Amino acid sequence: MTDIPHIAEIVDTAAHDATEISQLSLSGYDLTPQQAYDVQAESIDRRMKRGETLIGVKMGMTSRAKMIQMGLDEMMWGRLTDKMLVEDGGEIDLKDYVHPRVEPEIAFLMKQDLSGKVSPLQAVEAVSAIAPAIEIIDSRYKDFKFNVPDVIADNTSSSSLVVGPWAKPDINIANLGMVMEFDGKAVEIGSSAAILGHPARALAGASRLVAEQGLSLKAGWIVMAGGATAAVALKPGVQVRLSVAQLGRVNFSVLP
Amino acid sequence: MSTISHDDIERAASQLRQAHESGVPCAPLNQFIPATDIEAGYAIQNMNTDYWIAEGRKLVGRKTGLTSKAVQNQLGVNQPDFGMLFSDMAYADGEDISLSRMLQPKVEGEIAFILGQDLDSDHLTLADVISAIDYAVCAIEIVDSRIADWQIKIMDTVADNASSGLYVLGSEPRKLGEFDPQLCGMVIEHRGEPISTGAGAACLGNPLHATLWLAKIMVDVKRPLKKGDTVLSGALGPMVSVTGEGVYELRIDGVGSVRASFVDGK
Repeated sequence: MTDIPHIAEIVDTAAHDATEISQLSLSGYDLTPQQAYDVQAESIDRRMKRGETLIGVKMGMTSRAKMIQMGLDEMMWGRLTDKMLVEDGGEIDLKDYVHPRVEPEIAFLMKQDLSGKVSPLQAVEAVSAIAPAIEIIDSRYKDFKFNVPDVIADNTSSSSLVVGPWAKPDINIANLGMVMEFDGKAVEIGSSAAILGHPARALAGASRLVAEQGLSLKAGWIVMAGGATAAVALKPGVQVRLSVAQLGRVNFSVLP
Repeated sequence: MSTISHDDIERAASQLRQAHESGVPCAPLNQFIPATDIEAGYAIQNMNTDYWIAEGRKLVGRKTGLTSKAVQNQLGVNQPDFGMLFSDMAYADGEDISLSRMLQPKVEGEIAFILGQDLDSDHLTLADVISAIDYAVCAIEIVDSRIADWQIKIMDTVADNASSGLYVLGSEPRKLGEFDPQLCGMVIEHRGEPISTGAGAACLGNPLHATLWLAKIMVDVKRPLKKGDTVLSGALGPMVSVTGEGVYELRIDGVGSVRASFVDGK
């Protein structure tokens, strides 16, 4: 029998204390993807018992570059809580993370609930605003190595998010240039087209995948569409800025 | 200063022409010319440019290559390179391109600038480049190497006309100011999959900067850019190997789209 609460405690404690753990799959916990989502749900329940609230979801493995980097081939999702929000222009401390990386994204703000199989058009209709966003991912596993159930159980490496200015959703987001800079130097350059060919597909995917877990995307939630480029490791003291065509800029810095 | 003998330059130039004409790639030139001798590379390229012009090929533009930091790092250089565009290399949107014209093609998504004025002053600035550009179109550059298995070092690719092959121009001219050259998104799709993505900034920070670099060096080497010339300014994302027959569609946000359609046969 798989002890879901026990495994949830392992991943939650690792995330809470920013400590590295070995892969569940290498520690005798051989989970199915469904069991991994059960662990994720349970670990987020633990956070909520500590006073955190759910603010949305993030999609993972939505870009080709990302799939290649991780050697995976399917989309997945994780939960976002209010404690994960870093203010635009804010600062983070590396001691709150294990080995964080950043990736450039597009964020959707939901205008209405959305659940189940929907078309990208229906998905976009449910959106009230779009923003440039940086996701700070931080696998709790040693060397950022994991298999699919491992990473799902670890809340798909969710750690923090920085969301820029919200714009009305009347912008064509199919192919927006995205430039992520460290200290003013471009480290990753891409296009929103890398997110499944169009970020709206990631939103439709979010609606479908959360429904498989009996949930829906809620009005007011943020949906992070997934990285448009490979993720880049953070360094002490670095200033991170993302510029997205038509959407503007978002930035934060890492304490020295 | 390159110390390579004229005979070796001639030998390399003829080896490349033979590969070009026969469709059979040749061995790397770096077997007898130092791999880092960029000057020798340009001497070889220039010899072949003169040869082709004498043969009746018409020079209609230039390309900038190695405009991405990642590619420069791969080849161990910190500058772009350039090559010549001849009229027989140009294709129109969606026109069939016979795979037999190329040895080992790859595609890149770029912005092409077509000039409305000569850029032949000794003191060019970005303002001259912006003023001289008549319009921009999407372009798929089909790069190719006459060197077997793309076993190129910097000298080889420079000698081999900066690995130029063919190019396809879009047909929706855009004025500067109608799109964002730095933050325009770029995607190449093949069979519905985005196989290369990027943005204007990937080309030396901005395709206009790459064009200024090219314009200046063209004045230096006495082949200045002229009114009507096409400039392929450099890739906005990774190059992708062409695997066989099929269509590759490039879209650049605000600039338009263009397709390269590869077919078998002559």
